[in-house]
Amino acid sequence: MTRVLIDERAPRSCCVRIANWEILSTWWERPELQTKPFAICERVGSRVVVRAASPLALSDGVVVGMRKREAEARCSGIEILDSDPTIIARDFEKMARAVEALTPRLELEEPGKLSFPTLGPARYFGGDVALATRVHEALTPLLGEHLSWARVGVADGRYVAGLAARESRNNENRIFIVPPGDSATFLASFPVAALGDLPLAELLIRLGIRTLGDFANLPAPDVLARFGRDGLRRHEMAKGFDYLPADLSVPPLDLVECSELDPPVTRVDVAAFTAKAMADRLLSRLGELGLGCTRVRVEAETEHGEQLCRVWRHEGALTSAALAERVRWQLDGWLAANSPSANINIHDERALQDLSVLAECGLTGTDTTTGALVLLRLVPEEVVPGSGRQLGFWGGDAAADERVDRVLGRLQGMLGLDSVGTFVLQGGRTPLERVTFLPWGEAREPQRVTQSNDTTVVWPGQVPSPAPTRVFDPPRQAELLDHVGASLRVSGRGEINAEPSALHAKELPDGGGQVTNWCGPWLHDVRWWDRRSARRRALFQIVIKNAADGDVACLVSIERGRAKLDAIY
Amino acid sequence: MPVSPLPRRDAASRANLNIAGRLAAPVTMAHERVMTVDSQIGAALHGNGLRRGTVVTIDGAGSAAATLELLSATTRIGEWGAVVELSSRPREMAGLAAAEVGVSLERCAIVRDVSSERWPAVISALLEAMSMVATAVPSNVRMADARRLITRARERQAVLVVVGAGWPAEASLRINAGPSRWHGLEFGDGLLAYRDLSIAIADKGAVRHAHLGQRALAG
Repeated sequence: MTRVLIDERAPRSCCVRIANWEILSTWWERPELQTKPFAICERVGSRVVVRAASPLALSDGVVVGMRKREAEARCSGIEILDSDPTIIARDFEKMARAVEALTPRLELEEPGKLSFPTLGPARYFGGDVALATRVHEALTPLLGEHLSWARVGVADGRYVAGLAARESRNNENRIFIVPPGDSATFLASFPVAALGDLPLAELLIRLGIRTLGDFANLPAPDVLARFGRDGLRRHEMAKGFDYLPADLSVPPLDLVECSELDPPVTRVDVAAFTAKAMADRLLSRLGELGLGCTRVRVEAETEHGEQLCRVWRHEGALTSAALAERVRWQLDGWLAANSPSANINIHDERALQDLSVLAECGLTGTDTTTGALVLLRLVPEEVVPGSGRQLGFWGGDAAADERVDRVLGRLQGMLGLDSVGTFVLQGGRTPLERVTFLPWGEAREPQRVTQSNDTTVVWPGQVPSPAPTRVFDPPRQAELLDHVGASLRVSGRGEINAEPSALHAKELPDGGGQVTNWCGPWLHDVRWWDRRSARRRALFQIVIKNAADGDVACLVSIERGRAKLDAIY
Repeated sequence: MPVSPLPRRDAASRANLNIAGRLAAPVTMAHERVMTVDSQIGAALHGNGLRRGTVVTIDGAGSAAATLELLSATTRIGEWGAVVELSSRPREMAGLAAAEVGVSLERCAIVRDVSSERWPAVISALLEAMSMVATAVPSNVRMADARRLITRARERQAVLVVVGAGWPAEASLRINAGPSRWHGLEFGDGLLAYRDLSIAIADKGAVRHAHLGQRALAG
């Protein structure tokens, strides 16, 4: 028997990857979609593009990365769904449990991809091929007819195993094994884009280095001199080692972040709220030590004493938001998951034996939640020297911005996502239309453009400057009366039946008063081409006299015969 | 002679060192804690600006315009401001007017739908991060909550701007904006062009007067 050298920088690993994971989890959530074409879209900048598409949609010519509008044109009746990372991640917990029946040391990287070291399991099950087959068998009850979407790769190191899993799509059994020590030959023909660092890949291609083999052949000192520390890490990856900094430190023991939940928590959002604060604390303490975290263990205990545990890994260091998101996914998976026995392959005799032994001991479940969570713990398992951000000498702007981000995030947790945000200017006619409110955390992109080729677009019919200082959203009820006290009317041709003489509204000081000056009406025929959203309105600027406040200037509109107070200047 | 490092357990020496550090710390003069307001309001303020860590009340018909002026002073120097809107009142924050007077909208947070029970907690959280928080006051705010917010603002060196009536506690600056006169609009003709807003500022007993003009932007 040949002795396999264990290289700590590339421990033999197995990577399991589910292709089209988002489609699959959507089918589980909404079974009626199995027979329909649909696409999952996400917003990239100002465009909405297809992120994943169902097989029916793909066969109609929808391509991932295409704009939503084009996808709708190519495939009639396509259903467009928003990408929801929570659902995708929650269902992945089922996968993790199925694979966990084989080996305990799972590391989840992202929804749809997990890996584990194979040294023990492979010896137990009789080799890499047998192990990979076992993984497939474990996934059979869950994936059913889509088993071919499960890709399994075994190789030296997580990175190579990931590529092997991707490569397995060409094999009949969707398994790809890279023999020990063969990483270099396996990697040599991959394009440099496989390193997952797009700017570096583009640069390398321009320098004439197109494959990982070419890159790996460069001398390491030269790579360090030209591409810096990060480039050197990618160089190591091209040689088949994992993306890990050389000086991997052991995390200090006292960094474990632990929080007792009292009263016990059954709802995901409440637990996630605590988790967010814990993630912030953990990362700020790591930050003080100059460390970043690449692998974190999420542990929870229920009131019945069950222990739940899952490891998440992130290439590069986890940010506070990314960590909190992963903890939330995990809690979602735990609190929403069903019984584990359903996930165990009934053909797996060993697993059945284990279950019966456990049942004899009075333990019916190994990993299920029967009660509320009472304890939540975050354990940084692997820390790396943090690349960190250099703050200004006295804390500076960056620290202030971070504080603002934290506070606004907390308020969003308290008041709801849509209650906290900022305004951004956009094209439009009335003061209300010309700004849009964007929830905090979303990209500040206007819905309607204000600039075209560096010139500001002025919409026809735009209410002239100065802008009113109180803009009601939505506009408030008002009464615009003529001299005999009847409501003012505007004809279809935009003519008023009388001059306005009094304006009344609850928001005006003393409830309104006599009109001293006015002008109008300006007609807005908004979206006349679309019967459902078409609006016709007439706008007036009106000044009324008030004993205490002097002049009160208002913007009043009449729409469908009703007057509304839009704004006060 | 080589200097040996201070032993960690030597508490007395550490305490002395702390005192020395405090004595040697740079002194912050009162005028350094002023947030400069470079509009007509600022000219009437003591030291041409707002003292950080204080409470300012603004009322009168032009309170919204005056508040936007103060917010623009904060956000223009790269600091953050926030506007809080109560769920019991109509939303009326004017983003466009804010942009016209020079508020950097990307550094002006809007917090909406705040109920009166949550109001003290929300304001207190915002004071932690923002240099200026502008808000209306719910009708039933308690004196104790108001006092707590005053302390909070002083601790965090933030300015709490209370718009409208109803602030039960003391304020270091009271601004009354109004009455105003509008020019440009006639009976059935013209457009609103220019506002002349009289402002009275009560600062430690002394009352100063100013005028705030709001003019139409060209184009």
